Amino acid sequence: MAVAPPAGLAAPATSADRAKLSAPAPVNPRQTGNNTFQFALGNGMQVLVIPDHRAPVATQMLWFRVGAVDDPPGLSGMAHFFEHMMFRGTKQVPDDAFSQIVAKNGGEDNAFTDHDYTAFYEEIAKDRLPLAMKLEADRLANLDLSDSHVGPERDVVLEERRMRVDNQPQSLMNEQMMAALHLSHPYGRPVIGWTDEVRRIDRASAQDFYDHHYAPNNAILVIAGDVTPDEVRKMAQDAYGKVPARELAPRAEFAEPPRLAETRMVITRADAKVPLLDRIYRVPSYAQGMPGQAEGLETFAQLLGGDQTSLLYRVLVEQKKLATDAGANYDGDVRDAGEFSVYAVPRPGVSLEALEKAVDQVLSVSTIALPGDADLNRAKTQLVAGVIYRRDSQFALASAYGQALAIGLTVDDVNEWPARIKTVSAEGVRKAAQMLQRRQAVTAYLVPGSDK
Amino acid sequence: MKRLLAGLALSVLAAMPALCLLAPVPAQAANIQNVDLGKNAEVWFAEDHTVPIISINISLPGGSAYDPAGKAGLANFAASMMDEGAGGLDSKAFHEALANRAISFSARAERDYVVIGITTLKENAPEAMHLLQLALTRPRFESEALTRVRAQIIQSLEQDQAEPPRVASRAFMRDFFGDHAYAHPVSGEIGSVSSVTAVDLRNFAHGHWTKYGLKVAVAGDITAPQLARLLGETFLPVSGAAPPTLPNVGRLGAPGVHLVPLPVPQPSVYFGLPGIMRHDPDFIPGYVANYVLGGGGFSSRLMDEVRVKRGLTYGISTSLTSLNKASVMAGSVATRADAVHQTIQVVKDTLAEFAANGPTQQELDDAKTYLTGSFPLAFASNSGTASQLGTFQRQNLDIGYVARRNSLIEAVTLADAKRVSKRLFDPARLTVVIGGSPAEARGPQIPVPLPPGNPPQPAPPPAGAATAQAPGVASQGAMPEPKPANKPLAGPVTTPKAAKKP
Repeated sequence: MAVAPPAGLAAPATSADRAKLSAPAPVNPRQTGNNTFQFALGNGMQVLVIPDHRAPVATQMLWFRVGAVDDPPGLSGMAHFFEHMMFRGTKQVPDDAFSQIVAKNGGEDNAFTDHDYTAFYEEIAKDRLPLAMKLEADRLANLDLSDSHVGPERDVVLEERRMRVDNQPQSLMNEQMMAALHLSHPYGRPVIGWTDEVRRIDRASAQDFYDHHYAPNNAILVIAGDVTPDEVRKMAQDAYGKVPARELAPRAEFAEPPRLAETRMVITRADAKVPLLDRIYRVPSYAQGMPGQAEGLETFAQLLGGDQTSLLYRVLVEQKKLATDAGANYDGDVRDAGEFSVYAVPRPGVSLEALEKAVDQVLSVSTIALPGDADLNRAKTQLVAGVIYRRDSQFALASAYGQALAIGLTVDDVNEWPARIKTVSAEGVRKAAQMLQRRQAVTAYLVPGSDK
Repeated sequence: MKRLLAGLALSVLAAMPALCLLAPVPAQAANIQNVDLGKNAEVWFAEDHTVPIISINISLPGGSAYDPAGKAGLANFAASMMDEGAGGLDSKAFHEALANRAISFSARAERDYVVIGITTLKENAPEAMHLLQLALTRPRFESEALTRVRAQIIQSLEQDQAEPPRVASRAFMRDFFGDHAYAHPVSGEIGSVSSVTAVDLRNFAHGHWTKYGLKVAVAGDITAPQLARLLGETFLPVSGAAPPTLPNVGRLGAPGVHLVPLPVPQPSVYFGLPGIMRHDPDFIPGYVANYVLGGGGFSSRLMDEVRVKRGLTYGISTSLTSLNKASVMAGSVATRADAVHQTIQVVKDTLAEFAANGPTQQELDDAKTYLTGSFPLAFASNSGTASQLGTFQRQNLDIGYVARRNSLIEAVTLADAKRVSKRLFDPARLTVVIGGSPAEARGPQIPVPLPPGNPPQPAPPPAGAATAQAPGVASQGAMPEPKPANKPLAGPVTTPKAAKKP
């Protein structure tokens, strides 16, 4: 699921954010950007409205400030498993009737889970939006967890894990890298969970998770589409207003110890047919970084490996002909530490060692030489244009704002992001390159071969 | 339980307009207009000035079915080379010209067509179309780019050999289509891709990147006169030569269970039957029936039987896809090694029951309200609109179809749906391919013959059959995608967003 980058310099989101949720908020929609309106319900639910009148349809997203970091010890995968259980019925809307009612009304629905948040959405004709809201409110308040649903759904999740991870050597390697990168932070645990821990999830632990995390005062409702803020306020009050606020489990805060050494791993797999070099650095995020740091890292990632005009592609693939592909990525839209990753796929006959040496040369040059104006401008143009392209899609817009709010950033952070990217200087990019410290990184080789 | 459900529907819906009264046509559909680009070319245009973006979807008669003998993968190779240098711009300069203005440009081969997608900010549209013109008329096919792209395609083919869904779908297409041009993988085989030369690419581009049979769908921030001028200039120097016609297919299908062994925790199963051609009056009833059986995510019979009731899979879906010369009803499912045979049996039993009795009146009504009510979702963005219109164009529909489409679905009767279900879903004719090694051996299995000198070549799903995509062939790009671990984790249904509507 592509989630466009929001942005921000807000203080790190902590459990204090949850307390803030119950504070009184404006009852009437307040314009908070060119085309965004915000208000809150009496029970603490935050609401954001993004009008778009091109087609008579709307997207509802309900974001919860709960994710895989909140998985109970020994039960990794709980948040994601629970997202599945939200489709398993209430007393009024039993079994899988939720999705069937949405479909009958011409809607699409689904959900996604990450370390910091869980989100549910429906895309539906605007006159069915009240129905979609009532359905969401119903499962927020009245989920009916039964053993007869927990068992089969656990099997479904294990099949999902086989499909996404166990059958995919690159995903398996990434999972191992994350576990090594984060020394104690739960970002090191896979969102989908470790197989043997997923097997241990039962009805009681799921009920406990629901009781402590699913409440209107832990939720952000985003509505994008053919609606007005006042319409949404009435509908939301009608559907969600009666759901009572609940005491929330305090969200654990994690103080990640310093990394003192680089971690290196070689993973040999028979199902890997193509070798891969991958490195992930622990770096500041938008929430944690000093002003401008995350924007610098974002711009450097684009310049270093965002597309075929990037440094890594140009040098490794086109000039030195050591790789068939190479790139970089920055993920700073998180509550705690961000990640900066670099990868390259060797051409046949090129060793991963030689490839890594060439990658390190490119990185090393970037810590010394300033990027050229043309390259820097191109990278910034692409990042900023991405925000305009995002306006084409209700789903992308709702995702960008919902994600930002869910990780403790603000609407302003999202709206000001393009302007802040435009101010990133060549020196800012060089500083970002200098932040990539090998001891803050895990480097992995995926090697085709017998894993017996 | 049903009683309570009805109770909710009443309390919620009482205050709303009746369920089936959704406007049959999205707001934009009324605005879709033709733009003239001469004979043998067709342009559909949806004007919208909300966002300063233009999305363009272009289809040319240059899909993999036109690959010459021994050159399987040529159409895809050529499409992959489309942004690798043209006119005075080498590969690097061409990529920079796109990136400097943040123009998104992609080209991919399907079986019948090569499909080009362009999204650009309004002010960069002239530059975007100039680059397209260069790419179509003066491609360079230089040796550096050719060598690099070939290596990328071959690596991707190598990795596909370990991916059960690819292995299963490739073998399925080969078995199902026999010796027809639809049988070989869009991205080709390692051997055939290795043999492609610059001359092959040049000849293919010359013969197939032509405006004879050109289809263009545009949505966004431009006016009709501006668009007519821009497209007129862009395609003026493009060849108008008629491409060769494709042969008709013979007998379809290879009933039985075929096995391609692969040591993986979760084998993939691909299955299918002869479908119904797009121009056949039974296509729409068939599409509606397929929605009930396996096209409708959580609402489908197969999802209910295989996932919800038994927890055997993360997702199962079927789709009815009509290519220009053949149609296939295909489905896919993945499950743990020791549940493969059980899963296939559940699929067969579900098909048999459905063929015998068809959908219930309630299922048919629910399918219609979904299929008609969700239609406007496809037109909620410029990119969605252009892509949906392009899909209709590739199915050789007329521009009036967009307005007519929902009434055709409304007109399907229970008798239609039952008759067509009998015609479509006969489990005795089912071709089944297992990619992977089932843990328990049971039932007759036919080893799949390998093409000489090559290991099994997984193919992109023939028609987005593993997805909920409707008619119009979706194939995967040729670039390897080594980007690690996607997050966030999407769930719980694998149905992709923006599924194309029939």
